[in-house]
Amino acid sequence: MGDSPRIAVIGGGPGGYVAAIRAAQLGARVSLVEEREVGGTCLNQGCIPSKALIFNAEVVSLLKRAEEFGVRVISEPTYDVTRMLERKQRIVQTQIRGIHSLLKSWGVALIKGRGRLIGPRAVEVTDNGEAVRRLEADRVILATGSKPIKPPIFPFDRARVITSEEALEPRILPKSLLIVGAGVEGCEFGFLYQALGVSVTMVEMKNRPLATEDEEISSLIQREMNKRGIKLHLGVRVEKVSVESAQVVVILSDGQPIAVERVLVSIGRGMNTEGLGLEEAGVLLGKRGEILVDDRMETPAPGVYAIGDAVGKIMLAHVASAEAKVAAANAVTEGGSHSMNYDVVPAGIFTLPEIGTVGLKEWEAAERGLKVRIGRCPFRALGRVHTMDEIVGMVKVIAEQETDRILGVHILGPHASDMVHEAAIAMRLGAKASDMAEMIHAHPTLPEAMMEAAEDVHGSSIHLPRRKVPPAGRPGPS
Amino acid sequence: MIPVELRYHTEHEWIRQENQMAVLGITHFAQDALGDIVYLELPKVGVEVRSGQEIGEVESTKTTSPVYTPVSGKIMAVNEELKEKPELVNQDPYGRGWIVKIQMSDPSEAKRLMDAREYGAYLQEKAD
Repeated sequence: MGDSPRIAVIGGGPGGYVAAIRAAQLGARVSLVEEREVGGTCLNQGCIPSKALIFNAEVVSLLKRAEEFGVRVISEPTYDVTRMLERKQRIVQTQIRGIHSLLKSWGVALIKGRGRLIGPRAVEVTDNGEAVRRLEADRVILATGSKPIKPPIFPFDRARVITSEEALEPRILPKSLLIVGAGVEGCEFGFLYQALGVSVTMVEMKNRPLATEDEEISSLIQREMNKRGIKLHLGVRVEKVSVESAQVVVILSDGQPIAVERVLVSIGRGMNTEGLGLEEAGVLLGKRGEILVDDRMETPAPGVYAIGDAVGKIMLAHVASAEAKVAAANAVTEGGSHSMNYDVVPAGIFTLPEIGTVGLKEWEAAERGLKVRIGRCPFRALGRVHTMDEIVGMVKVIAEQETDRILGVHILGPHASDMVHEAAIAMRLGAKASDMAEMIHAHPTLPEAMMEAAEDVHGSSIHLPRRKVPPAGRPGPS
Repeated sequence: MIPVELRYHTEHEWIRQENQMAVLGITHFAQDALGDIVYLELPKVGVEVRSGQEIGEVESTKTTSPVYTPVSGKIMAVNEELKEKPELVNQDPYGRGWIVKIQMSDPSEAKRLMDAREYGAYLQEKAD
């Protein structure tokens, strides 16, 4: 083992711990430096805790509708927020312990503290400002993540004007909540808090919620907000925020005042790059503050790699993990030539109902001047959703007109984030809409909607009525 | 069963003309074809609309279907009762199940719509 490379990883989130394990699997001697807790934002302040709470909301909404299913609930269900938060914390702790034991089993040394580069070949670890260790390393992987953007217009106080971190710890639920930003995180919190009985208002600068998603997904989710009574103000900005004794008053750019008990600011995340000794080590930052890397995830400083939110390509946990594997492989094998491919990145959005998406959105295809054919299948056309009494939503398949290759699939409905992976593997293998349409799908299941939507690309879905206008380029079912 | 005092659009909407105002709903045929209606997406009051434009959407347990306006003008009212009771469109499509009221900018558009007899023949033709 004398000549196996020493690799130091800074940051133990879904980028860093995955990089550490992969590098160890490939034979490196690995140290992982983490200031807080392994799992990063994803596990401690993001994906996992928010999904744990959303499940609570689903349980209660089902209980409230129990009578429809012929189940009598004797008394009105109520929330025990303390128990909910305990459950969430237990889930997080279990996952953290799991990562600890994985790191141990692969021989990764976990070092508590804040890591910073001392040139490209060493990492200094400080704990509470005191230098505790110096790690010599042949290669370094930076995986320092991101944090909520906190513009000065908002007087953040961790109680009444908050970010996602505090929103996941609602010791006492507010009666009313204003969410600034209707992106992925804002929308997830909007549906969660509304389901917990909070009166939710959302403000978004753009003219639709989830503005980077497919336009039809945005309009479907906007309708679900309407149905649930989530109030949405589009095309407006926040001009002024004043914290008063009993309420927070927010003035919008159209002059409208909104008084609420709590304000959650969810307008994006900034990269953690401060105090890392980057400049001195020859690592460069881009315009958004992101660490610049090539497609091998290496920075301009040879032997220093960077991954995850800090490089700001696509800020998703699973993208960080994928980048981690590429960086680890390149770091362990000098001159390794693994590279990242961002063509097929599935993503879930955990609204109610949830969203699964992969590949090009319709607006993106149009922007690139691609000629496409689109197939849709509303879930309510199929039997399975009626058995669950969750009929909202659809599958939308976007295929290239000339080649029939699937370019994107967008799903809103039950288990959309699970279902999207069929589309992802299809796209990864270069499948055509006709491949997906001709593949036998088990009945009665939700993915039947995928098959029907793929058939609908050619106007030949069995469970949809004949189209008034046949799809472009083809006369209809052959 | 097709009310004689109303006028009808090929997309199965009806309108009742009250001076410059048109009350709009969907026909018995439309609600029957849609099945149990569970939600209506309604336009905002004050919005200007053009004839032939989609102004909302009906969700039933079977399908979703756009609502068109056959007349141009300004949305003056929407049936707020449908937010809580969308089933009124099934139960009383020509009465409590009305959808919007439009201040018409060109009342001659209403005159060009089908009357009850013509709409009856239109449905018959569709069925054949």
